[in-house]
Amino acid sequence: MKKGKITMTITIGIACFALVTVMMMQFKVVNETDITAIENMQETELKTELANWKTKYDEINAQYEETTQKIEEYKNDEESDNEASKLVQEELEQTNTLLGLTDVHGEGIVITLKSGKDIAAISADDLLIIVNALKFAGAEAISINDQRIINTTDIVDIGEGAFIKVNGQRILEPYVIKVIGNQSHMESAVTGNGGKVDELQTLGHTATIEKDNDITIGKYNGEIETKYIE
Amino acid sequence: MTNKKAISIILGVMCFALTLGIFVQVRTIRNTDSTISQNQEANELRDEILKYKERYDNKFKELEQAEEQLEQEREKATQNDTELEQAQQKITEGNKITGMTEVTGPGVTITLTDGKGIATSTLNPSDLIVHDLDVLSVINELINAGAEAISINDQRWVLTTAISCRGNTIDINGQRIGAPFVIKAIGLPEYLAGLERVGGYLEYMKQDGVGVKLEKSNNITIPKYSGVINFEYLKNVEE
Repeated sequence: MKKGKITMTITIGIACFALVTVMMMQFKVVNETDITAIENMQETELKTELANWKTKYDEINAQYEETTQKIEEYKNDEESDNEASKLVQEELEQTNTLLGLTDVHGEGIVITLKSGKDIAAISADDLLIIVNALKFAGAEAISINDQRIINTTDIVDIGEGAFIKVNGQRILEPYVIKVIGNQSHMESAVTGNGGKVDELQTLGHTATIEKDNDITIGKYNGEIETKYIE
Repeated sequence: MTNKKAISIILGVMCFALTLGIFVQVRTIRNTDSTISQNQEANELRDEILKYKERYDNKFKELEQAEEQLEQEREKATQNDTELEQAQQKITEGNKITGMTEVTGPGVTITLTDGKGIATSTLNPSDLIVHDLDVLSVINELINAGAEAISINDQRWVLTTAISCRGNTIDINGQRIGAPFVIKAIGLPEYLAGLERVGGYLEYMKQDGVGVKLEKSNNITIPKYSGVINFEYLKNVEE
């Protein structure tokens, strides 16, 4: 009688253990499913993903064509120094444009922001979110109070929000954000549902958006120095 | 005797519940798989995506080679002229900063993982997840600490890089990435490690239950930008 009881308990114990183990394993599988893998995407997502890769391929292909063309030009112009000099200057200008070291102009919008009274002032994070949204919508050049946004631009609050520094330079209100890019894309990036400029306005800050067909944005006026990248 | 009966019934019910649970799970997993593989159109789309991915990868390698060759040709064409040689060096240097070439150097690796804690009334479940703004804030702090090159899950941070939420994933450089987020930065490791300071954003995230790990390293490699920056509206001002 006693023996039978013990065996039964052990059997049931093992069975329960096995069941729980299997369950845990299953939960783990579900947890580890990679939601970015295309195996787990729905049809609409797959279509966007495909369009995405097509664009990326086309872009990289165009870039490849351009690069090989440049190589050919260098090869052909080996004898005449003049041509080579022109090519190098052209390439340098392209690089400087990407670095933000050239004055640029084009169509875009100008956003002007001023903090409302009796509420927390517009913060560095607010500006960071606006810049990010504009970039996501395809902004080609941005400046805040004439500080050019380059790829190593930081926007930070100094002294518990006493003032904001962009590129290490103190900026004062009103904040004037100039953007070059598709005007309607730029505007819709910061307005409407979830738009940061509209949100600031609802909170009681003053904001205006003006379209301009020829905005000039000045170059980055500091030195871009690197010490650690190789 | 009645006691024994009660135990048997309880055990029986427990076993039944467990078995049921397993069946439900097995079925769920099988269902997700089968509905996906049965959908032919979706499968064709998947094939197409893989095809384009491969074409892209191949082209990207070709481009990398071509860019190396271009640099050599440029060097050859400029070697007899000091002024041109300087311009050539500026281009090479500029390409590293703008993200057009792969770079290496000392720095830090920050890994952000979604929190594993169980949501309670005092803890907002949304706080446990790494959001787009979290990544954006960390990058902003890294730049502030002197980072010279940054990548997020091997996507290079360039002039036009933005971070956007897309469901449970993040969209960066047109690429979809999910947690864990591995942020690499090149700069003085001691300064970059300062992100762990009290009152910094990393500490704030830790308090929210997000997994944060920062490691210093003397040898970090950050890949070149995977796309191309084209300007459609912008022109240089003629001098």
